[in-house]
Amino acid sequence: MHNILHDSVDVLATFADRRVRPLHMRWNDRNYTIKNVNLVHTAREGQKKIFYFSVSDIANYFKLRLDSETLEWHLVEVYSS
Amino acid sequence: MQKIILHIDMNSYFASVEQQANPFLRGKPIGITGKRSERSIIATASIEAKKLGVKTAMSTWQAKKICPSLILIAGDPEKYSEITHRFNKLFFEFTPFVQEFSVDESFLDITEQAKDWFGAVYLAQQLRERLREECGEWITASIGIAPNKLLAKLSSDLVKPNGITLTRSEDAIARLDSVKLTDLCGIGPRMGKRLNDLGIMNFKRLREFPLEELVDEFGSYGTWLHEAAHGREAFEVNVEEEDPKSVGHSYTLPKDTFDPVLMQRYLLGMCEKVAWRMRRDGFVANAVSIYVRYGDFSGNGKQHVFKESTADGLRLFEIAWRLVDSVRDKSKPVRLLGISASHLTHTSESKPTMSIFSAGGGSAFGGKKEQKHLSVLSALDKIQSRYGSKSWTRASLLPIAFQDRASGLGYDHEL
Repeated sequence: MHNILHDSVDVLATFADRRVRPLHMRWNDRNYTIKNVNLVHTAREGQKKIFYFSVSDIANYFKLRLDSETLEWHLVEVYSS
Repeated sequence: MQKIILHIDMNSYFASVEQQANPFLRGKPIGITGKRSERSIIATASIEAKKLGVKTAMSTWQAKKICPSLILIAGDPEKYSEITHRFNKLFFEFTPFVQEFSVDESFLDITEQAKDWFGAVYLAQQLRERLREECGEWITASIGIAPNKLLAKLSSDLVKPNGITLTRSEDAIARLDSVKLTDLCGIGPRMGKRLNDLGIMNFKRLREFPLEELVDEFGSYGTWLHEAAHGREAFEVNVEEEDPKSVGHSYTLPKDTFDPVLMQRYLLGMCEKVAWRMRRDGFVANAVSIYVRYGDFSGNGKQHVFKESTADGLRLFEIAWRLVDSVRDKSKPVRLLGISASHLTHTSESKPTMSIFSAGGGSAFGGKKEQKHLSVLSALDKIQSRYGSKSWTRASLLPIAFQDRASGLGYDHEL
């Protein structure tokens, strides 16, 4: 099941060695532990840089959006196997 | 000196990027489509889908018929664009001579770095490893190594996915004799048929065919064919970025329509996007082409060339709509509209007497009004540069919405 959305989420992440790594996400009152960061890419909205993290746990794929200006996280895609 | 050229061809590129991002798609037949899967084509099929008969440019309904288990994924051009930049940057670690041939293909001249064929294979293996580190294990490439671009491209096609194929100068003839005429880049199906009609069924026969007769039949292309049949090609890896020949946009409407107002809205939206790209990149156009595709997939188009250059979306729209209105078959519903601005020159090169915001022939903007329009447009460009493409729109475009996820075939997010 593949869903496109734009839900605000809480993300616990590490910022080390000039890299951001999301570790846990809270969405719909549930905690998800991120097992793998599969791909990171960026996009520009005007001069604003947006980071996208394609991550997965055991059963789901999530695409997370990090706004580098506001530091807000959004869940923009979910795919469940 | 003997050249050593690499051709790097990313395997099922857009599909591999999606499989890299989402591990639950790996090993499954997937097809990357445009913004609306049901009214789109397959931009890229995954390796698994190709094995089941799905081909690039096939309509999605046809692909689904052939392969019911096919998973359709709307293309994400931002992602592909970034990965393309990433691997091309990586190639510069190996040589300064990199030619981006397309979004998923590049040529590298590694003559100095490799020294010999053994060195070339070693570098290709290193490159494959760096690709895995930078882009991920699922994004793979087939690499062809040869003395020129033509043979390198042919070689990379031979082992997919993730192959490294070497064609040394002394192996060129044997390599060519092992493939079909149409396997070579530059000989399409139509040309293949013309060659067959002359009794030329393979490269051996093409080599034997008198050069004079080839030139009589095909002009300078005949000389190219003769050289290609001997595994020779003069074109070097071109490291200079070429200016675009045109700037265009096409859009499949949400539904087939007879409604001219709806068509005008989408056409104006596209003209604004095209004009913004031209202004951003410093170009003006002297020609506009349009294309109309109907519900039955037939279509027609028309071009208008004009003297006074323009980079104004409204002006492009005035010209484009006149063209659409003149060629459109009003008995058929319209499925897709396309507009392309061409005959481009740099803004700095356009003649000073010509305003970039008018195109003559009854421009809506003269004198003070034109000045006002120019300053508004300049302010809007600044807003768009700062806040992105969704920061403003014309009121007349509010009733329509261009889908965020445009076709994987084009990088529309850069508009």
